[in-house]
Amino acid sequence: MDDFFFSLLLAGISVGAVYALIALGLNLTFWTTKTLNFGQGSLMMLCAMLTVFLSSQGLAAALAVLGSLVLVAALGMFIERWTVRPALTSSGGSMGWVVSTLGFGIFLQGMAAKYFGSQAMAFPDLVFTAQDFVTLFGQYVSLQYLVVLAVAVALILTFEIFVRCTVWGHAVHAVSLDPELALVQGIPVRRLILGSFMLSSILAGVAGVLIAQIGGTVDPAFGFDLVLLGFVAAVLGGMGSSLGALVGGLLVGVISKLVGGYVSTAAEHGIAFALLMLALAVRPQGLFGRPEVSKA
Amino acid sequence: MLELRNLSVRYGAVRALEGVSLQAVPGGITAILGANGAGKSSLMRAISGIAPVAAGQVLLDGQDITTLPPPVRARLGVAHAMEGRRLFRQLTVEDNLKLAWSFGARREKLAASLAEVYARFPILETKARTAAGLLSGGQQQMLILSCTTIRSPRFLLLDEPSLGLAPIIVQQIYGFITNYAAQSGIVVMIAEQMATLALRVSHQGLVLRRGRVVLAGAGEELLRGNDGKTLAASYL
Ligand SMILES: Nc1ncnc2c1ncn2[C@@H]1O[C@H](COP(=O)(O)OP(=O)(O)O)[C@@H](O)[C@H]1O
Ligand SMILES: [Mg+2]
Repeated sequence: MDDFFFSLLLAGISVGAVYALIALGLNLTFWTTKTLNFGQGSLMMLCAMLTVFLSSQGLAAALAVLGSLVLVAALGMFIERWTVRPALTSSGGSMGWVVSTLGFGIFLQGMAAKYFGSQAMAFPDLVFTAQDFVTLFGQYVSLQYLVVLAVAVALILTFEIFVRCTVWGHAVHAVSLDPELALVQGIPVRRLILGSFMLSSILAGVAGVLIAQIGGTVDPAFGFDLVLLGFVAAVLGGMGSSLGALVGGLLVGVISKLVGGYVSTAAEHGIAFALLMLALAVRPQGLFGRPEVSKA
Repeated sequence: MLELRNLSVRYGAVRALEGVSLQAVPGGITAILGANGAGKSSLMRAISGIAPVAAGQVLLDGQDITTLPPPVRARLGVAHAMEGRRLFRQLTVEDNLKLAWSFGARREKLAASLAEVYARFPILETKARTAAGLLSGGQQQMLILSCTTIRSPRFLLLDEPSLGLAPIIVQQIYGFITNYAAQSGIVVMIAEQMATLALRVSHQGLVLRRGRVVLAGAGEELLRGNDGKTLAASYL
């Protein structure tokens, strides 16, 4: 295998795993409310920016990340309470959440530009530096990429175990299938919805920090493309499917890196949308989208 | 005891229920009767908390629960088998039962509760790993009933449990309901369009028409028809 191909593949897998995290976050709110938080990109950006800011104030890297995640989780609750819930309960069209979540994201982006400036800021090395590597099968492998991959995969697995093996995971699934039935069965649907927005925001925050670690810098516009790529991954894999999120994320990551490397870096992000259109035309329910189980 | 005081339910301009009062005591079955659209489901939904109450009160053992959210009512012991065979269709039979047990009163251990259900309806054990949506109508109704009883409820609301089922299955389902009501000594309420079916097992009945009570009394009395007002006439 030639070095160039191998390095593109590894980079693709690493960022792909992060796209999968974003897709998982989108899935989570989709399960509980059939809505997507399009402000996720701004939460990714904000979490990374805050990490830079807090560690520049002398906070240890781990604490800086933790503090940023707490803040982003709180914002997730705010988003559910003030942008999604009003849009869902108001009469008339029920698509208002698209505009309100996106609008809130743009607002956050504006605030970040105002307080942190719109210049790109250098992101601190959290565990390894960009120069650290190990040798695998005779190839140089960046340790940062490996850490990102490991964190993303570990989170995805934890999430999957939570959903499959815990009562609360089953409850989330139940809410996605029939919220009214869940309510009369005593499942605290409101709290689960709030929780799903918090957890989804935390996933976005982690994704933001991981991508920033690979890229090395953050700026207020960062995150906007990324959430779209996460969205492509989610749709490609099948909206609502965790396995789909993972496979979709890896596909988007690897294909865009390969196209970026062999064709043109300008096509790197565009190719994802070509993939999206192809997927929608050929298999609209996504790779792992499940058909309804029903019998009259 | 379950008590309704002057309960009204409105969906915007639609008056589904108007000033209905009712008392249902533990150990007894109350039949809520009436034609399609009479307001039976609205009455039950107002008790479990998923219908818009415009006026009046719902009381459980004297406690006013009119403004409590549905999950809190469920925790107080309300179990509602909604009309239209509502189940988590993609989940397996056993997962439906587990979920219902998890958010119920948990008076017994899960294993014991499951064993009890499977002893009563062996077909559910055979189909434990099948998606609930793939069961036959009768099996689904058995599962729905079991999902309510596995929660050890104190107030059981059954909305048209016989709808769309073969007569032999209806008999089996009604046999189960009557037994369960007698054994558990809880408040049971059944909504039915088929009046005679429900009245035969009920201690009291209440006939609704366009949201209002047009006839009420003991089950026996209603079946035989008193002072010229026959049951059939109230359906017209
Ligand atoms: N969600 C709803 N929105 C508007 N009207 C409704 C709704 N549910 C029921 N209704 C109306 O309320 C009335 C009573 O309905 P319902 O309680 O379902 O009666 P039943 O169960 O006896 O058939 C009907 O006129 C019905 O059309
Ligand atoms: Mg009805």
